[in-house]
Amino acid sequence: MKNEIGIKVENLTKIYGTGENAVHVLENASLEVKKGEFAALVAPSGAGKTTLLMMLGCVIEPTSGKIWLGEELVWDEDHWSISDTKKIRREKIGFIFQAHYLIPFLNVIENIKLVPLVNGWSETKAEKKAMELLEYFDIKDKREAMPSELSGGQNQRVAIARALSNEPQIILADEPTAALDMERAVKVIKLLRKIVEEQNVAIIMVTHDERLLPYCDKILSIQNRKVVTTTPDQHLIV
Amino acid sequence: MINLAYKDIAHSYLKFIITAMGVGMLLGIVMIMIGVYRGMIIDAQVLLDDVGADLWIVQENTLGPFAESSRIHEDLKNTLKTHPDIVKTAALTFLNLQIQTPGGVMKRVYCIGYNPFGDIVPVNPKRLVAGRGLQKSHYEIVVSHKLGFKIKDTIKLGRNIYTVVGITKGVVSSGGDPAVFVSLKDSQELQFLYSNARIRNDRARGLKVDADAHLVNTVVAKTSPSSDSKKIAEEIKRWKHLNAFTVQEEREILTKNVIETASKQIGMFTIILIVVSTIIIALIIYTMTLEKIKEISIMKLIGLPNIMIIKMIMQETIILGILAFIFGNLFAHLIWDKFPKRVVLENGDAFMLFAIILIASILASLFGVYKALKADPLAAIGG
Repeated sequence: MKNEIGIKVENLTKIYGTGENAVHVLENASLEVKKGEFAALVAPSGAGKTTLLMMLGCVIEPTSGKIWLGEELVWDEDHWSISDTKKIRREKIGFIFQAHYLIPFLNVIENIKLVPLVNGWSETKAEKKAMELLEYFDIKDKREAMPSELSGGQNQRVAIARALSNEPQIILADEPTAALDMERAVKVIKLLRKIVEEQNVAIIMVTHDERLLPYCDKILSIQNRKVVTTTPDQHLIV
Repeated sequence: MINLAYKDIAHSYLKFIITAMGVGMLLGIVMIMIGVYRGMIIDAQVLLDDVGADLWIVQENTLGPFAESSRIHEDLKNTLKTHPDIVKTAALTFLNLQIQTPGGVMKRVYCIGYNPFGDIVPVNPKRLVAGRGLQKSHYEIVVSHKLGFKIKDTIKLGRNIYTVVGITKGVVSSGGDPAVFVSLKDSQELQFLYSNARIRNDRARGLKVDADAHLVNTVVAKTSPSSDSKKIAEEIKRWKHLNAFTVQEEREILTKNVIETASKQIGMFTIILIVVSTIIIALIIYTMTLEKIKEISIMKLIGLPNIMIIKMIMQETIILGILAFIFGNLFAHLIWDKFPKRVVLENGDAFMLFAIILIASILASLFGVYKALKADPLAAIGG
């Protein structure tokens, strides 16, 4: 199981603008994260972490290179090789962000059920899955609450539950702990670690906090517009 | 499937309802304006319908008695009766007066004089809400309910005091002034008899004082059912010194010559109000979409299809339109009778306005839809 490809990138290049104004964010960057692996993406601000994450999430078009999600080639040099990037996002990817970004006019369970229902799940199946996740994250009693009625930590747990509701192959997390204190941040990371192990998903998490790196399996750092893969031990020694 | 429009509205229902009420009030005002326009058309024809004559005979070369002043002899009513196809005639006078209401306010009224014992009586019994029509040749008056008088109240007009014997509702002049009815003799005196001071003054100047009160503004006639009113009117015109109109021609004069400018003005205001309402509704829908642009970006980021987002915006637009229409109708029906002039609210106009506003709203929501489709998913995370 652990050898299955979660996400794979080959020679990925992203250039914003053209001519003299061209900004090279990534040049021939390659990486691979297998299912059941928890990878941290680290780099200084402005190095292109979010750009890379959003290219992996089929939100931003790369300039060239190849991206595989699982076994499926989604970006092939200069075009999407899939017809609907949104479908890929809602079926294969779960997003977690620094803020919860829940839809404010839907309650907790509706936020969690929304994507599975759009994916064609039955109401019963979506409800069952949502209840499982709420129980898993210990917020079952908040199922009818609106996001505005929850604490920051509770909202973040709902956001993670939403990211898992469609049973994704990959979770892309953009600084999910940046707004939390260390104690809560560790709780969230341990939770993600648990998800990786129990649900065999691949997680790539952008973070600035090196204290969280020991919880990850590998570190992807952007250096000179390329992605360098190391283990947490190697990274901390460097 | 979760209905996003319903959920969004339920989440901020108070704001949505207040917005719908605001738009509704705007639509209500548009409905009232259309009602004022309709009211003007009806007001202009109330007297024509109540008199019920087939022919209106007036002074030569005039469009009297409503569009131009006209003076003809009262006894023309007898001459006209000699025509084999004329079965009924009546002499009528029309003049504007100022009456002091019981509240002490001076109000302009349209005074109609008729012979209470004549063939044609212009007081429509259906419009009498209290009392009766005139039954004496002098000093009785039938007033409009808008003036605030009660039966047996007295009113000083000219040299004499009149007693209120009847109260009507809905009888007005083409300009919308409430109508009062007095006997022909009284109205002739009010219209043609000078004051004592004026008579003394004229005598002192050596002018001939000829208080010929046997003039009227029009003589109306009813023709036999088998006759051709148009043909009779042509015959009367040949008698010289007279002009004659059929009721259709008189109706045309009233709606075209008398109230055309005013009705066009109201029509222009109505069109401008519809355009302004449409722009405001478009802006509201556009703003509503802009307010949700972050949520829309999140939806796009997590992979919701565009059609769901478009459906949400469209459904909210339609619900807003329907609610605004309901509020607009309620508002219009609450205030229509507070207007001094007649306001006629017709279902056809309301539904036509609803269709216009709904189509305009849907078109306006396309700006919102365009904005939503252009929304960058990265905007959700500040990317």
